[in-house]
Amino acid sequence: MTKTIIDQAGTGVETRPAIRTRESLLSTYRTELAIAGAIGLLVLAVGTQVPQALSWGNFANITQAGAPLIIMSLGVLLVVITGGIDLSVGSVFSLTGMVTAQAMAAGFGGVSAALVGLGVGLVFGSINGFLVTIAGLAPFVVTLITFAVAGSLAFIVTNGRSMPIGDPDFWLLNSGSMIPGMPNYILFCIVLLVAIELFLKKMVAGRWFYAVGSSAAAAHLLGIPVKRTQFFAYVASSLLASFSGLLTISYILNAESTAGSSLMLQAIAAVVIGGASLLGGTGTAVGAVLGALMITVIQNGVNLIGINSFWQGSVTGLAILIAVLIDRFSKSRRGAV
Amino acid sequence: MKTKLNGWLAMAASVALAALSSVAHAQEKKTVAYLAPSLDISYWQWVGFGVKQKAQELGMDYVEFTSENSPAKQMDNARTAVTKGVDAIVIGPVSSTSTPPLLAYLKSQNIPIAFAGIGPQPGQTDYTSSVTANNYETGKAQGSFVCALAKERGGNKVGMLSLPQDRENAQKYLKGAQEAFAADGCKLAQMLETRGLTVNEAVTQANDMLTAHPDIKAIYGMYDEAGTGAAKVLETRGLTGKIGIAVADGSPTTIGLLKAKAIQGIFFQEAVGQGIDGTQQVFNALTKAPVKKDLALVMPLVTADKIDSPEAKAVIARVFPPSK
Repeated sequence: MTKTIIDQAGTGVETRPAIRTRESLLSTYRTELAIAGAIGLLVLAVGTQVPQALSWGNFANITQAGAPLIIMSLGVLLVVITGGIDLSVGSVFSLTGMVTAQAMAAGFGGVSAALVGLGVGLVFGSINGFLVTIAGLAPFVVTLITFAVAGSLAFIVTNGRSMPIGDPDFWLLNSGSMIPGMPNYILFCIVLLVAIELFLKKMVAGRWFYAVGSSAAAAHLLGIPVKRTQFFAYVASSLLASFSGLLTISYILNAESTAGSSLMLQAIAAVVIGGASLLGGTGTAVGAVLGALMITVIQNGVNLIGINSFWQGSVTGLAILIAVLIDRFSKSRRGAV
Repeated sequence: MKTKLNGWLAMAASVALAALSSVAHAQEKKTVAYLAPSLDISYWQWVGFGVKQKAQELGMDYVEFTSENSPAKQMDNARTAVTKGVDAIVIGPVSSTSTPPLLAYLKSQNIPIAFAGIGPQPGQTDYTSSVTANNYETGKAQGSFVCALAKERGGNKVGMLSLPQDRENAQKYLKGAQEAFAADGCKLAQMLETRGLTVNEAVTQANDMLTAHPDIKAIYGMYDEAGTGAAKVLETRGLTGKIGIAVADGSPTTIGLLKAKAIQGIFFQEAVGQGIDGTQQVFNALTKAPVKKDLALVMPLVTADKIDSPEAKAVIARVFPPSK
């Protein structure tokens, strides 16, 4: 017995045995499981050198250090699935922090200042989305422009000075506990992970993202609102970058113009490590989160062992290569079956 | 007809006089250019503030260029400045090694140049003055101070959040600190080098360092953000004051932390002072006054109990602009 199923791209053009629908989680998240295994091995390897690497305290360090990257990566993932790229997230992250800090200095309360900060993400996401979908410019060019503009504005806002956070309660956003025993940054990561994964896998609008990324032309012919989907992806990406910026300044209670400068490439790397293709049409939120965690674990391991931090880039590059090879191998095996 | 001719001659003479007077005025008023490696770091803005302040005091015009951390752009900026007719240059170079061709060019143009913050490549002599911090002596003094902080807290292990060790100033800081640790009986448990110079990175590194070495009793911050990041980590872990922190550079943020006793000492790097002194030296060169070739400024230590003293205020005035 066969039946037509909606494939990951949501185009409904693929016909496979019905057994496909009963595919186990194990098979669906094969790449992600491989990454999770690699992370586990990495932590154990570091633990053999530095036993404290296996302590709860260190796991808390890793999740705290990784939370902003995780959230940013989830946003970048949405854009990458649609076949786009968002180079502006690091600058939006920095600008959000500076604007929020400046708003507090101007007398805004923590909540209203945070909303002003999120406005940065909304504005830049809308600009990206507008220029990509309406003006028809290439995502790389558009987000390169907004990367430069937002990065420049991050300096202009305070003339390059770092800004302390004025609201003494602002730390609660990151380190408070809406659920007893669970810091908010972990809660936000889990909620966003589940929400985005369910959205992508279970909701029709979520599957449009894959369809658009697989083939925008085919998606258009199928009646999928391609431009609206792309626009939403850029807005979501910028908003999540802004939110991760807010979490960071809430944690360190200080905003810096260069805070997000290294995060953009890390977020893209996390998404790729997590199994997404930069050509679009593939990727999962679970994978992006694991990719971000892997980068954070590498940084943590390098620090704990005391390896020169300049090696972090090389080790991360190697991790990307291994992840891409695992993904390629996994897909070719699935294809062979 | 004769009257008309006289009128024309008078007008021409007055125009010529005005032109000559303007040339003479332009020759009198000198211009100093400040070449910053990048202006996205407060330190280099503050050096620029010092250059500008001193230039105004000396009756000089001030122009500013940023090299965006590119040696090529730095060279282009120097050429542009010379083309614009500047009389002297104060430079915060992209790196010491980037300067030999620039010095050769400026020598050929007979333009005096003073270094601020980062000195020329060792062996170079074609410069007017070099105003830098004495990183080795500061490293030594800060190392002793950090070691004393550790011992006061019942241990002898210290951690270090370092600038990238490919920088000459970082190597000097480290050498001085290592000598002080050895002399005073302290052990450097771990050193982590920054890449991004951000507080967030320092927080992560301080967290990781204290996880790997929980017996560390004091932290040596080689740059300002390191002190801010380490203080944040100690606050989160409930260890404020139980682990000592001393930091180099100084900023309004770390001064706030010093006042709150979250850190115990700041070795101030006189960014504004370096700009002031560098400008004074090139001005001296232009006016044939004596010039000091190498000025290695000490980085004075200010502790929490002395932060409000007149001496400390005088030091801080040479660190960053008063409104900051």
